[in-house]
Amino acid sequence: MSEIILTINGRQVKGKEGDTVLEICQANGIDVPTLCHLEGLSDVGACRMCVVEIERERNPVPACTYPARDGLVVKTDTERVEKYRRQILELIFTERNHFCMFCEQSGDCELQKLAYRYQMDNVRYPYTFPSLPVDSLSDYLVIDHNRCVLCGRCVRVCSEIAAGHTLDFGKRGWRTLVGADLEQSLGESSCLSCGACVQACPTGAIFSKVNLYRGKTDECQQITTVCPACGVGCELNVMVKDNNLVRIEAPELTEPRGPLCPIGRFELLYQTPPRVISPLVRGKQGKLEESSLDRATQVIAERLRETKDGFAGIISTRVPNETLSLFRKFIAEVVGSDWIDTRDGGSYRIISQGIRQFQNKGKGLDIECPVEEILKADCILIVGANPAETHPIIGTLVRRAVSQRGAKLIVIDPSRDVFSLWTDLWLKPRAGSEGVLLNGIAMTLIDRGLAKQEKIPAELVSSLSQYKTDEVNRATGIDKENLELATEIYGQAEHGVIIYGEGLLERNESSLVTSVLHLADLTGNWVGDRLRVISLKPGANSRGAWELGLALKGIKQNKPKGLYLLLADEPVDEELLGWLKGINFLVVQASYHSPATSMADVVLPSPIWAEREGKYVSMDGRICELKQVLQPKEGLPQDQEILMEISKQLGRRLSSS
Amino acid sequence: MAKVKVATAWLDCCSGCHMSFLDLDEVLIDLASAIEITASPITDIKEFSPVDVGIIEGAVSTTHDEEVAKKLRANCKILMVWGDCACFGGICTMRNLFPKEEILRRYYSTESTTKDSNIPSSEDIPPLLEQVKPVNQVVKVDCYVPGCPPSSKAIHYALTELLEGRIPILPSEMMRFD
Repeated sequence: MSEIILTINGRQVKGKEGDTVLEICQANGIDVPTLCHLEGLSDVGACRMCVVEIERERNPVPACTYPARDGLVVKTDTERVEKYRRQILELIFTERNHFCMFCEQSGDCELQKLAYRYQMDNVRYPYTFPSLPVDSLSDYLVIDHNRCVLCGRCVRVCSEIAAGHTLDFGKRGWRTLVGADLEQSLGESSCLSCGACVQACPTGAIFSKVNLYRGKTDECQQITTVCPACGVGCELNVMVKDNNLVRIEAPELTEPRGPLCPIGRFELLYQTPPRVISPLVRGKQGKLEESSLDRATQVIAERLRETKDGFAGIISTRVPNETLSLFRKFIAEVVGSDWIDTRDGGSYRIISQGIRQFQNKGKGLDIECPVEEILKADCILIVGANPAETHPIIGTLVRRAVSQRGAKLIVIDPSRDVFSLWTDLWLKPRAGSEGVLLNGIAMTLIDRGLAKQEKIPAELVSSLSQYKTDEVNRATGIDKENLELATEIYGQAEHGVIIYGEGLLERNESSLVTSVLHLADLTGNWVGDRLRVISLKPGANSRGAWELGLALKGIKQNKPKGLYLLLADEPVDEELLGWLKGINFLVVQASYHSPATSMADVVLPSPIWAEREGKYVSMDGRICELKQVLQPKEGLPQDQEILMEISKQLGRRLSSS
Repeated sequence: MAKVKVATAWLDCCSGCHMSFLDLDEVLIDLASAIEITASPITDIKEFSPVDVGIIEGAVSTTHDEEVAKKLRANCKILMVWGDCACFGGICTMRNLFPKEEILRRYYSTESTTKDSNIPSSEDIPPLLEQVKPVNQVVKVDCYVPGCPPSSKAIHYALTELLEGRIPILPSEMMRFD
């Protein structure tokens, strides 16, 4: 890109060819008011607030869509353009019902700020007072067309960043309305409720019920932390007022992990089941009774002294590394047991065993690529995973690759086409035959000469030779035509990304993981020393737990006599509850009351995500910082303090270093 | 120096702007040496006589509002309006989203009332206009103090500017629409 020089307000400034006048102004600290512009989205010049004067242009032009050229003479602050901007504001105000005293967004509104800036103390034109509908049927979002300025930020963020393509303009001219799908209510539309449009909306036209009347940005402290919901590790900007959560936004909305999902943006604000405030100990009558922390830790210490053997520890992977490593020490050194696992350790054992079978002395989990690689893909193969549900941002990246890069999408799933309209090819193998299908694709790649690997190991070819088309067809029910089509699409792609998840992992066969890796290897899908393969790992810090050695072996084969379950603020599932039955002595350290706490002999409090701090490792290996955004409720102790207290009772010192 | 004569009126409004003016508290004593309030809800004098400055709070909602606005305009040299209702229409404009008849029916004869269902009518009750309007849609306005209500500080600023012979325009940091 060649450098260009412009004169803006009499000052010479530099830019690059391809920049817009607005970009050059902003890069050089020249203030130009904007409304429809949002960094990271395409510019459309919808609002005209950024009009500037350019020499030899007959009329003022919007800076956001005007391509800068060498030698351009621009004026951004003349009386004429300032007059135009004020007039544009007045026209915007007359077009819909922008009355701040009955708008929740007053105080957090860009239109209002502009009106203040331009000292708009009256409007010279008659108002139109259109009577427009309000759509509040979605669980999270409300569209109030009365407040809309038709800037189109929501429409653009929905298609360009969230890749939902739900919002668009309907009708024409001044009757234009932003709408979901084909004039459906948002709640009944294809909307995924990621809330990117809420963050993008400059006015009160799209807002969230969840954030309503909790507070204004100006009154809040903003803390950047990491999302505790899944392993993707999206950054969150959490707004806090008087030790209450107000709102969650993305620090960088238009970054790949920026659109967030309903869990990260909205659900985290709820703290619905009652919190565990006080420790509980099961009394003589078998009922759980409130107790002091001292007494509760004493009871645990006594039991631990009695039952040395057969005591196990399970920990949630929503807690940061610091808690995980202290828990490991606690179980190993204080309890004296090597019986330890995380709630989702099983997935890791399968993944890493699969990787070891593929590459014995390699990089382990680091053989997988970062999730951003999906955005470069021209083909995506999804097998045994439903990213849109388990890791919504991965779903978003997949839809972006499909809609923006034309990536081909192949879904292998026995029962569900997890991307429905987005899918190019849905292969529906018989349940349990995914491995055969993957190997069948690998064999067909070799047979059709589509394998890009230079020297295919003979052992691999011979082990794959049993997966000829007919055998594959017999085992999976996939016919030759579809098998070859899938092979062709994936084999001919330059950047083929394979995403697999719980559908494969819950089958407990590491050979499935190995098959996936071989497939990527055969097609030369390497970026440096990483394969274009992404496994959807569960808990937010499950990778941290794996790296700290908490999940080396499973413990659920045998039932322990005693169990210390550090559940934190993670919900319980039926499977865990079933397994907990029949354990003699159960300690549950949890943020919320649940069926698990009512089964326990001792219940201990635990902070929620917002009250903890420490380090997370995202599923693709990034170190993330979990920051404390709230003071623990009623001075509740941190998980570590409780573990140290029990250790003290047993005469052991547990240090967190 | 002769005192500056001021008259004020309230139209369709909540009187919050006048309250905000009274919130000037001890500053009112200083102001009293510079201005004389003639007709006003505060003095309870209803007939306008010629003044230097007319002040209107509230939107124009009825034929009576229209008449008051016109009369005050005719009697003052400078007309200043206070508050979002007078400047933009404000909260009163919520009724503009419905037909006038619908508003009256809803108010007098649905679940919103326990009284009988007659819409009162008398020549003493001014009829509603089709739509609520800001004051500048009815008469010429010289200066505006928006806010719901404007802060005492903003009202004081505007009055001081006028007393010093300038037409006030609120600085951005004093602008409030709520």
